[in-house]
Amino acid sequence: MAAFFDVSFLTVQVLSALRQAAFLFLISSGLTLVFGVLNILNFAHGSLYMLGAYFIYALTLHLTGPAGFVIALLAAPLGVALVAVVIEMGLLRRIYIQEEIYQLLLTYALVLIIHDMAKIVFGPEFKSIPKPRAIGGAVTIFGGTVPVYTLVVVVLAPLVALLLWYLLYRTRTGKIVRATSSDREMADALGINMSALFTLVFAFGAMLAGFGGALAGPARTVFPSVGTEVIIECFVVVVIGGLGNLWGALVGSLLIGTLETVGIIVFPEFEMSFIYLLMVVVLILRPWGLFGRPLKVKALAEKNLGMEAQEISPVHFSVRPLVRMIPLVLLLIVPLFAGRYYQYLLTQILIASLMAVAFNLLLGTTGLLSFGQAAFYGAGAYTVGLLATKTGIGSLSSLLLAPLVAMVVAGIIGFFCIRLSGVHFAMLTLAFGQLVFAIIYKWYNFTGGDNGIQGIPVRPLPGGIDIGSNLSMYYFALAAVAVAVEILRRIRSSPFGATLKAIRENNQRAEYLGVNVKLYQWTAFVIAGAFTGLAGGLYALMEKSISPDIILWTKSAEPVLMTIIGGIYSFAGPAVGAVVFIVLNSYLVAWTENWALVLGLILLAMVLMLPGGAVGFVNEKARGAFGKMGWVRRWAFSKSGAS
Amino acid sequence: MGAPMGLLEIRGVVKSFGGLRALQDVTFSVGQGEIRAIIGPNGAGKSTLFNVMTGLFPPDSGEVVFGGERISGVPPHRIIRKGIGRSFQITNIFPRMTVFENVQVALFAHHRSSRDPLGMARRYPSVAAETLDVLRQVDLAEKHELSASILSHGDQKRLEIAISLASRPRLLMLDEPTAGMSRFESRETVELLRGISREQGLTLVFTEHDMDIVFGISEKIVVLQQGAVIADGTPAEIKANPQVRKAYLGEEIQA
Ligand SMILES: Nc1ncnc2c1ncn2[C@@H]1O[C@H](COP(=O)(O)OP(=O)(O)OP(=O)(O)O)[C@@H](O)[C@H]1O
Ligand SMILES: [Mg+2]
Repeated sequence: MAAFFDVSFLTVQVLSALRQAAFLFLISSGLTLVFGVLNILNFAHGSLYMLGAYFIYALTLHLTGPAGFVIALLAAPLGVALVAVVIEMGLLRRIYIQEEIYQLLLTYALVLIIHDMAKIVFGPEFKSIPKPRAIGGAVTIFGGTVPVYTLVVVVLAPLVALLLWYLLYRTRTGKIVRATSSDREMADALGINMSALFTLVFAFGAMLAGFGGALAGPARTVFPSVGTEVIIECFVVVVIGGLGNLWGALVGSLLIGTLETVGIIVFPEFEMSFIYLLMVVVLILRPWGLFGRPLKVKALAEKNLGMEAQEISPVHFSVRPLVRMIPLVLLLIVPLFAGRYYQYLLTQILIASLMAVAFNLLLGTTGLLSFGQAAFYGAGAYTVGLLATKTGIGSLSSLLLAPLVAMVVAGIIGFFCIRLSGVHFAMLTLAFGQLVFAIIYKWYNFTGGDNGIQGIPVRPLPGGIDIGSNLSMYYFALAAVAVAVEILRRIRSSPFGATLKAIRENNQRAEYLGVNVKLYQWTAFVIAGAFTGLAGGLYALMEKSISPDIILWTKSAEPVLMTIIGGIYSFAGPAVGAVVFIVLNSYLVAWTENWALVLGLILLAMVLMLPGGAVGFVNEKARGAFGKMGWVRRWAFSKSGAS
Repeated sequence: MGAPMGLLEIRGVVKSFGGLRALQDVTFSVGQGEIRAIIGPNGAGKSTLFNVMTGLFPPDSGEVVFGGERISGVPPHRIIRKGIGRSFQITNIFPRMTVFENVQVALFAHHRSSRDPLGMARRYPSVAAETLDVLRQVDLAEKHELSASILSHGDQKRLEIAISLASRPRLLMLDEPTAGMSRFESRETVELLRGISREQGLTLVFTEHDMDIVFGISEKIVVLQQGAVIADGTPAEIKANPQVRKAYLGEEIQA
């Protein structure tokens, strides 16, 4: 520890923390600006950063020398801004009136698309960008050796911050931007040209990300997935600082930059957990971030009433019980004629469907966008994995314990998350998910860390029924999933489910029915968590090995994607989405390297053209043919009408 | 003291937003079965008073007592359970549910069947019948299958009244129930409210800008101006009150 107080050491560390903070600030200031004005949390912001880095890479291939470098450093962000203009005018603009989730999804589709495009154009390997000799070396400050480039970054970033301040506080356009960000309706009323402003701000935010990328590229390396890595860090920064708040982004960047640097020195084994832990703590104490204020949202009802245009299957559409049995019969028979690979694939589909249907109890039914479902999936999977390897407990018993453990985890996480709503809720679930990931990833002795758990034994069920083969595992999973899905279906169509729907539609009005909204949301969160845990437990039994990857946030994104593909307002939608997702995933992986690109394009098409999802679309068409009034209602109507 | 306690007592309620004093020491009482209007110019604090009374936010000081029980500081869902229904100035319904479902879910909450997670919502015949009864009261039964979002503005307002009525409240609080309605719709709604109040002995507190309606149905009126009560009395007393005439009603009343 003595070394910690050494001046040279301290200098090096402080500068390295500042450098990290500088990069974070450049990227997250753009993110928070865009959120403030457009009200969109842009997942693709990290991808724009990645483009900035690739652009400077491509440019420096041709432009050499110091002058070339400077030109490249300025041109790369402009290129990114251009891309952003195309995105905003061509895509985003079409869905401003839609619900938040579609905007999030669209930007997520862009993440997938840009990732694979970069891979196609620049290749999957790491690229390093040469720095001109003048700034390539190192200098000695207070006895510590510091790369010159670090100094460049540490000086340039505050200059950009200053420029940003000037633009926002001293120019007319800047004032309009700030006004819009604090009160959208007011700006509307003042007759500000919103669509031009949106394009401008989106492009400017992208330029900041691009500049961050161009500046970071030569210091770090570039590869296609830097975008997804950096975006999560930036989410943490802006959420801690307060979404939409520039000061918050500045303070958040400094905090995270410092914490990462200190974390690596003092507790190398916990590095990443720290930032998620900080985020969780900040959000528990100050739900809107350090500098944030509660979002001034339009009265919900008013907003929803404005959405008639995309009215989706309001009337309950019921399928005849006989028709409903067809898929089940098919699921029972088909595997008998399918090869072992298909049995495995079908089992995967079953598990994914359960995860998606459980997730949709939150999104489609209750109106909560959870981005941390992987935590419960992981809790279930690790429950089975640990019990099976460390004890002699039977497979069925361990599987039954999985939802219970997940339920407890969901109960705790839900307790904190339910206090927030909308994007803040999504971000806090994401942070908790990542925290669970970090814990399992780092807790070597107990969880096996990044090695995961291999060779999970599958023991016969009571009565000696073996579930070791692919086929018997399939039927076992089918039985479990069928029961679980039926319970979820009943929950959705119960009075409890109707109440959840009312909460989704208008939580204030629901509260004024005498419903304890938070308690109902929490209950839904716990139920969804339990079934997600069951899915995770099944996964562990099916794969017979697990790794912490199943708890990463990308896993949490899967049920979101499936649900959007299938349709959020129908019960079967998410399951259909799961089929599409898993099939695409396995075939595209075999067929093309760029399956993320295809998935991204499909997602983009879904968001832009079929906001009701595939099933919503089919329902709409089929309603005329099959739709009918519930018999009880008809009966009650005729009866009470007569009296 | 001495005076008999009303069903609803507002005592010294103060509420500020930042520097703005939205309510200053508001005190009045509403008797059982009374029809009471709260009037005042735009921004007088009527909606704020409603929000304090129904627990959307607590008063800075003072208290609200309902049926002898203090309800200020209690969360809205618990206040509603004590027998209060309310509607909002800006229509507040469940837009993408059908008219039927809007009222049905209110009844589920009222009967506490909201807690039933496994029964089928459609297999609750008594709730279905009751839902249609409530809808018939506000004349929306024929439209019960429509999505609430496609109703006319007036129908949506009436649907919200139906939602508030579903829980059979003792006290119904309506924030501008006829705002934006046509003259004809307003009349119908007023008749409807008067009828319900008379039949069920329901206490009614409402705000309204249309003076014909206010003086047509209310038994007592309280007048707010800049957050303070400037008059409280029968319609005749209010009409005669010089301060009210000067401050707010002007010529309108004499006509
Ligand atoms: N949530 C709030 N935050 C800040 N100020 C508020 C809030 N609600 C109301 N106000 C302010 O309090 C004052 C009283 O508003 P209120 O809505 O109660 O008036 P009102 O009598 O209902 O008016 P109207 O007839 O227009 O409905 C207004 O100046 C309003 O701007
Ligand atoms: Mg008002």
